[in-house]
Amino acid sequence: MSELLTEGFSLLIMGMGTVFVFLTVLVIGTTLMSRIINRFFGQPEPEPRGKRRLAATEDLSELAAVAAAVKAVHGH
Amino acid sequence: MDKLTVLLGQSGLANLGIGQLTMIIIGLVLLYLAINKRFEPLLLLPIGFGAILVNIPGAGMYAEPIYAADGHLEAAGGLLYYVYSIGIESGVFPLLIFMGVGAMTDFGPMLANPKTLFLGAAAQFGIFGTIIGAVWMSSMGWMDFSLADAAAIGIIGGADGPTSIFVASQLAPDLLGAIAVAAYSYMALVPLIQPPIMRALTTKAERKITMTQLRVVSKREKIIFPLMVLVLVAMFLPSAAPLLGMFCFGNLMKESGVVERLSDTAQNALMNIVTIFLGLAVGSKLSADAFLNVETLGILVLGLAAFCVGTATGVLMAKLMNLMSKTPINPLIGSAGVSAVPMAARVSNKVGLENNNQNFLLMHAMGPNVAGVIGSAVAAGVLLSYLG
Repeated sequence: MSELLTEGFSLLIMGMGTVFVFLTVLVIGTTLMSRIINRFFGQPEPEPRGKRRLAATEDLSELAAVAAAVKAVHGH
Repeated sequence: MDKLTVLLGQSGLANLGIGQLTMIIIGLVLLYLAINKRFEPLLLLPIGFGAILVNIPGAGMYAEPIYAADGHLEAAGGLLYYVYSIGIESGVFPLLIFMGVGAMTDFGPMLANPKTLFLGAAAQFGIFGTIIGAVWMSSMGWMDFSLADAAAIGIIGGADGPTSIFVASQLAPDLLGAIAVAAYSYMALVPLIQPPIMRALTTKAERKITMTQLRVVSKREKIIFPLMVLVLVAMFLPSAAPLLGMFCFGNLMKESGVVERLSDTAQNALMNIVTIFLGLAVGSKLSADAFLNVETLGILVLGLAAFCVGTATGVLMAKLMNLMSKTPINPLIGSAGVSAVPMAARVSNKVGLENNNQNFLLMHAMGPNVAGVIGSAVAAGVLLSYLG
């Protein structure tokens, strides 16, 4: 077996080893994190949808109020 | 009359070599694949056009700038030269793309079922198996690949364009053009490559397995996850930090919800700008002397093998996990571990629906799919630290 091939195999073992060890650590870390968060902050409720649109309408209503005020002062 | 001869002597036709002509035709084929066959058009169209531009004789699109002895600029370089050296040689473009991908990624399905990370790990066997294939080819005397070349070819199996380009630009810049073309072409072919392998390795009963519904993942978990990945990368594998760091940065911008403008720019405007230049720069590496050789053929064969092996090991790992796990796991989601987001997950979903038309695997397959992105970035980190 050539030297190149031997090096290829050592790269294979080291690489797959590292990938598995790292992702195993990540699985453990993720599981722990989720447990801790769910214990201290309770189970999550489904995220409210359309939050962004709500914010946008708020902004617009504020803008409208300002516009109305400006008109009330300068309109006549 | 002399002037006319000079002009004719400088014309493209007079200077066109057979190699350049062949490369221009290859560029046209890439354009055809992008426009008519819709093969990853966002990348293959700029790559194909870049290949044509760089092979126009006398245009000097890839000419290096010439400096006089006193340091002042005598002749400016070509556009593609600058784009390549600023964006790809430095590794900047793939990293910016990775930031955008991070900003588009939802880790929810993976956080709901963290075990699917193992599928993303198993599918990376395609990368390392292909490295063995490449060094075996050179030890047989068929090709001339160094270990660094082999690693850059293997990363095609990560099924992740920016990761492939990042690794190839560091380890084997000469092969970059062929590697990028192979990576993006096979990614477009995932719906053709994967299903036969998935069917061959699973039984009908296994393909019909329905999975339990995923739990809801809280905002807090989604915000903390990228930070946790970053800390783990910093501690254990700093060589993967450029890729995963930018990825986590993009993801945090998205999930934090407080910088929507930045996240929007990262995943749309900036991503599009970078994609244009990345494609052109990759195309500029498609010059005749770098592309028209037997090594390119080897890269195309090995790249396909990388996708097949990665798909197979992902499915086999999912079968194993199904045997050991309390909750059922459909082996079809294993193939999504190769990354190729979101195409591979859609393929899992489609093959699942063929066997049970009520069985929607898409969300379940998104877990291994994004895990595959992390897995291939980790594999890239290993390759860079081993060979860099």
